[in-house]
Amino acid sequence: MENVISKYCIIKPHQIIVDGKTEIVDSEKNEFGAFMKSVYKHYEISYPKYFKMDNLCKVAFIASEIVLQANEHIKEIDPDKVGVILQNSHSSIDTDLKYNDTIKDKSNYFPSPAVFVYTLPNVMIGEICIRNKFQGENTCFIAKEFDVEFMSHHVNELLNSGKLDACIAGWADYIDGEYSAMLFLVEKNKENKKDNISFKPEFINQLIK
Amino acid sequence: MNNIYTIADNIITSLGFSSRENFDNLKLGKSGIKKTSDPKITQIPLQTSIVDSKRLETEFSRIDKPEKYTRLEKMMILSITDALKQTDIDPSKENTLFVFSSVKGNIDLIENENHPFDKDRINLWAISDQVCKFFNSAVKPVFVSNACISGVTAIIVAAEYLRNGKYKNVIVCGGDIISEFTPSGFQSFKAISDEPCKPFDANRTGITLGEGVGTIIMTSNKDLVKEEKPVIFRGGANSNDANHISGPSRTGDGLYYAIRNTLKEAGKTNTNIDYISGHGTATPYNDEMESKAIKWAELEHVPVNSLKAYWGHTLGAAGIIECIAGIHSIKENCLIQSLGYSEHGVSEPLNVITEFKQTEINNFLKTASGFGGSNAAAYFSELNAD
Repeated sequence: MENVISKYCIIKPHQIIVDGKTEIVDSEKNEFGAFMKSVYKHYEISYPKYFKMDNLCKVAFIASEIVLQANEHIKEIDPDKVGVILQNSHSSIDTDLKYNDTIKDKSNYFPSPAVFVYTLPNVMIGEICIRNKFQGENTCFIAKEFDVEFMSHHVNELLNSGKLDACIAGWADYIDGEYSAMLFLVEKNKENKKDNISFKPEFINQLIK
Repeated sequence: MNNIYTIADNIITSLGFSSRENFDNLKLGKSGIKKTSDPKITQIPLQTSIVDSKRLETEFSRIDKPEKYTRLEKMMILSITDALKQTDIDPSKENTLFVFSSVKGNIDLIENENHPFDKDRINLWAISDQVCKFFNSAVKPVFVSNACISGVTAIIVAAEYLRNGKYKNVIVCGGDIISEFTPSGFQSFKAISDEPCKPFDANRTGITLGEGVGTIIMTSNKDLVKEEKPVIFRGGANSNDANHISGPSRTGDGLYYAIRNTLKEAGKTNTNIDYISGHGTATPYNDEMESKAIKWAELEHVPVNSLKAYWGHTLGAAGIIECIAGIHSIKENCLIQSLGYSEHGVSEPLNVITEFKQTEINNFLKTASGFGGSNAAAYFSELNAD
């Protein structure tokens, strides 16, 4: 059985693309924080914890909220059958550098637990799991560029082996004002709809071109 | 289904530069944790487990120029070199995949802006690039950074590739180093113990951090197995608490799911497990949660230890070196004492190993949990033992 993409979201600089349709273009070219806040409002997301997240978590979280909108049935799946598998290039280095600033100067030494907790790339997965009560497989992988071949292989294995029924999978990266996300909601193809897109490299590559 | 054989391993920690050296020290109940006041690591005295830098340079200079690589890369290259020597695998071949795990990678380069390396070297993928280049591997590696469960996850992902036949051999290597970054962060959380950590003990007050690297080589090729009774990987799974980014679940549900799915994948229908290699970080919350998950899985009778009081919590190495110790426990039919434990300190009645014991061990379950709410488990057993 094939596993299919139920919905996908691509976040590029100043652009939000959902299922191939450009839904938001920020012609004012706002910086990341302001742009993401406008996206948050546009999709009527309501989650106060968002404002405590670091930028990597924010970009991953927003993309996950968008792909889960109008997919309420995911909430009915057993929590331990829904997974989140993400990859990125810059790990949590953006926040690592911020945290390092708090310990660099010994005369002004103030290590902050609130910053330190975001110095792990898989925390973006934790945030998505907490928000949606997803308790299945969850792993953060690192690669210089989105390794579509690997992601497709791993996620299809998790779905085919029965460990998962649905998975949020893809890419989310943030470093020094530069950001990107490519998130897919992948499910087992139960209805055999004709227009479904299989979660295979040749199709994924078409979508993220 | 293919058997997944473990055929070689290496551990580099404060307790030695080989699995043999490390495991012999574990059998003797010897800890590598010491107090340091090195200003490059800590502003206040800190209990930690550090790899001997002089020995690292000496041993590395026999295989390449030490100045070409970072501390972590040197440890990884040395570790993989030692493990490969035990096998007939050619790592440059297309049938061999490298899987890496690290939490903070070359974090020392972020702290020292005057480092001699390219600025991209702070990236985790730069480490796998360097190590793969050293071993002339042309296969695109896999890199896991999943907080404290990274090592166990790396082993599970490696096994997935062997099971479906995409690769014949996988070299899993994970590690992390101690610099100022990680200790200061855990200190700010007030999560570091003043004394060497005491997993599952009533007087535990937090973790002890350590550095190290572990390598485990797995294959689906029976011809590469030299032992009569090799240890095989039978199953593994991970899960999320979906509770809090920096604190474990109060009920142990997440870890329980990982254990349940692991045993299901292993086809293990009974609870005849000989040994649990626990996570046991010695924070009040982790150990408590772990005891609940073990009880939930009806495994509270199984001998359990935490190895954190020997070499500290080595982050990206922890899952790998603890699995290696489990494999050696099977091979040598023994149980390692859970160092630091004297008075029971978790709400469920665990069977914590209080002294070194020679006894028949055919299998073990490894568990791990970490920040981000992640949990993992893996199950290994001797071939044909269950």
